[in-house]
Amino acid sequence: MSATLWFVIRRTLQIVPVVLAIAALNFLLLHLAPGDAADIIAAQSGGASAEFTAELRRSFGLDLPLYQQFFVYIGRLLTFDLGFSNVQHRPVFDLIAERVPATLLLMVVSIGFALLIGVALGIVSAMRHRSWVDSIVSVIALLVYATPQFWLGLMLIVLFSIMFGTLPSGGMMTIATDMSVWGRAVDIGRHLILPSITLALFYVAVYARLMRASMLEVYTFDFVTTARAKGLSEARVGLVHAASNALLPVITLAGVQVGHLLGGSILIETVFGWPGLGRLVFDALLQRDLNLLLGILFISSIVVVLANLAVDLLYGFLDPRIVHQ
Amino acid sequence: MLKSVNSIALAATILTLTAGTALAQSCSKTGGTLTYVYHPEPTALSTIATSAVPVAIISTKIYESLLSYEGAEMTPKPSLAESWTISDDKLTYTFKLRHDVKWHDGKPFTAEDVKFSVEKIIRPYHSRGKVYFGDVASIDTPDPYTVVFKLKDPVPFFMNVFQPGEAPIMPKHAFDGVDLSTAGAVRKADIMQKPIGTGPFRFKEWRKGSDIILERNSDYWRKGHPCLDQVVLRVLPDGAARAIAVETGEVDLAPMSGLPEAEILRLSKLPQLETSKAGAEALGPNMWLEVNMREKPLSDVKVRQAISLVLDREKIVDVIWYGQGTPATGPIVSANPVFYNKALKPFEYNPKKANALLDEAGYKRGADGVRFKMSQNFLPYGENWVRLAEYVRQELGKVGIVVETQSLDLGGWLKAIYTDWNFNITSTFSHNYSDPSIGVERTFTSSNIKKGATFTNSMGYKNARVDELFAKAAREMDPKARKAQFDEIQQILHNDLPVIFLVELSYTHVWNKRIHGLITNGISMYSSWDSVWKD
Repeated sequence: MSATLWFVIRRTLQIVPVVLAIAALNFLLLHLAPGDAADIIAAQSGGASAEFTAELRRSFGLDLPLYQQFFVYIGRLLTFDLGFSNVQHRPVFDLIAERVPATLLLMVVSIGFALLIGVALGIVSAMRHRSWVDSIVSVIALLVYATPQFWLGLMLIVLFSIMFGTLPSGGMMTIATDMSVWGRAVDIGRHLILPSITLALFYVAVYARLMRASMLEVYTFDFVTTARAKGLSEARVGLVHAASNALLPVITLAGVQVGHLLGGSILIETVFGWPGLGRLVFDALLQRDLNLLLGILFISSIVVVLANLAVDLLYGFLDPRIVHQ
Repeated sequence: MLKSVNSIALAATILTLTAGTALAQSCSKTGGTLTYVYHPEPTALSTIATSAVPVAIISTKIYESLLSYEGAEMTPKPSLAESWTISDDKLTYTFKLRHDVKWHDGKPFTAEDVKFSVEKIIRPYHSRGKVYFGDVASIDTPDPYTVVFKLKDPVPFFMNVFQPGEAPIMPKHAFDGVDLSTAGAVRKADIMQKPIGTGPFRFKEWRKGSDIILERNSDYWRKGHPCLDQVVLRVLPDGAARAIAVETGEVDLAPMSGLPEAEILRLSKLPQLETSKAGAEALGPNMWLEVNMREKPLSDVKVRQAISLVLDREKIVDVIWYGQGTPATGPIVSANPVFYNKALKPFEYNPKKANALLDEAGYKRGADGVRFKMSQNFLPYGENWVRLAEYVRQELGKVGIVVETQSLDLGGWLKAIYTDWNFNITSTFSHNYSDPSIGVERTFTSSNIKKGATFTNSMGYKNARVDELFAKAAREMDPKARKAQFDEIQQILHNDLPVIFLVELSYTHVWNKRIHGLITNGISMYSSWDSVWKD
């Protein structure tokens, strides 16, 4: 137990310098891009005088030398203050907090769906190696893997919203109607179907192929031969003995891909008008909303680091030998 | 004393008032929700924070100004002011305010709110506040329902400026405790996110990233209005998804070219939808190539004329903009029936002549067929602008001008063009707005060669005659003389080509036929919609 605890503490402490280094790098990289929010606000208003723009810049603190802006930023981070968005006119923390639930919902449902279906398909494929089932799964996985997500999303909208008219084309909930809590949950669920499937399908393909390969490798190990020699059924050998050992690389990839998934959700959120963090990043980037952008990058780097920590801990659970190394 | 006749307002044209037009009338039906779709999402609910299109559309349902406007000619009509008088010397404007107006929080609206809004908020912090009110010497409020503007010099467009998006009247009491001395503090005020106006709709809810809901103001001063119960903005970032939402009837309206042009073309053929370019005459977007004239060879007018000659404007409209526009002939759009100079001829498309002009200017083809090389930037507002850049590169290449295209995002582009002047040519567009002194002058006078001022004279164009004419026109109260001044300006710019005029863009609105009464004036989407009704 103490070994496990020590393992958790050590891994957690390692997060701090990583996150701070990411924050500093983000700040420097973003300031390499020319132009600032004052220019953008002036331009989006149809143009403004130089004095008007300079006054905006001054009141946003964008006229300070870069190193001063950097120290202001790091100083604020150390007190967990993410600052103020000059473009959206609101605190960065509030802006992020109201978007996180939507993105988390989309991500968790998608990754859950992808793992469930992907792993199942991979197992079936491996257990029926070189059969027609295996071939069909492999071909479909390859096709889905190669399909651009935004296109798939639009095609699903055309199919289910326009042709069948069964599912809404976008948004997270029906606007301007009063509903019971249960009714609202069903409503959000209906809105969630198309975006989560679109986001998940790519990962279904990835996990199915990885699980299949991993299973086939595990099948060559001695303990599988032993299990078979003991007279266990092929189903038990595959599902219990081989599958649990073959899961490790899939879990690793799923953890590493949390960042990737966050990136993928930008596209999906755009296509489906899903009011999440991804959209916020996109808008912030185009509007040079640096404080907001830095805030989102900071939070998402924490999410990614935590996801990797969770994977490490899960390793310990799946394979206790790792904790003691 | 003259009453309400604004001689310089745009005159009506039958052409612009096409089918679907309706002037403010009583409601044929009340109730219902109008849902419109637009992207990007507004960043605030006040045009003081930014007068970007999405903000202007929604905040003009909540806030009003002293006047409303009728028809494409923008004839001033009563709004918060029920009547007005203008002194003979055109220096004193006296507005009588309505007595029965309440703010959305129930407090009474008075002349103090008007004085406060103009002096403390609009003039310092609206992006065009100084253009509109820079010549106001004083604002007096002799009683709670009278406002008197005294001007230092006559302003020929003064009756045009009281539009709900350009001069929104805000409640003085909502700024109690707000530091009014910096733009940043004013923009952080609560009211920028939770507006309190006098308009027909009041703010109900804003789910960020998803929608904004406005509900009927039951205390609205215009009895029996608004017709609708709710106005809802739905934010859908993807263009194709927006088009689908309009097509399926999930939303009622996509205003201000809020759909990709190819989709507009497709939707215009559907029986349940109406498509119209009318209703944006007082905005007048005009697209051109801005030319940095500080260096050779672009400082040579023959070279600029040659560039103009190789660009086929009809083709640009039809192929790149899917027919959504008109070939431009000069700085003022042809939909402007008062100030547009009808004597201007269309720009010629004649590559042969262009070759001859370039030879004449001394830029002969080298052994490799190249005359000279230059770079181009493009306004990063989407696909059309990329395709335009590709077209420009290809056509100029044919006459021996090698063009290298540079891609920047909006922040980088603004800095390169308007702060660093580090470019050769770039596509861009600019609004004429309701008067050439407001929207056109800023691009072509030498006093507007200022680093850091967006959408101004980036070209470094200096023409003493043009400067003189614009200065005169900004004070000229005789409509005929003013028209003659603008006519001459247009002819000079047409010949000088400080920018290569290309296309008068159009703001196309697509709506479901169950919605009525949307197109009322030259700023229809920036109007209150108090008489819009739904079947």
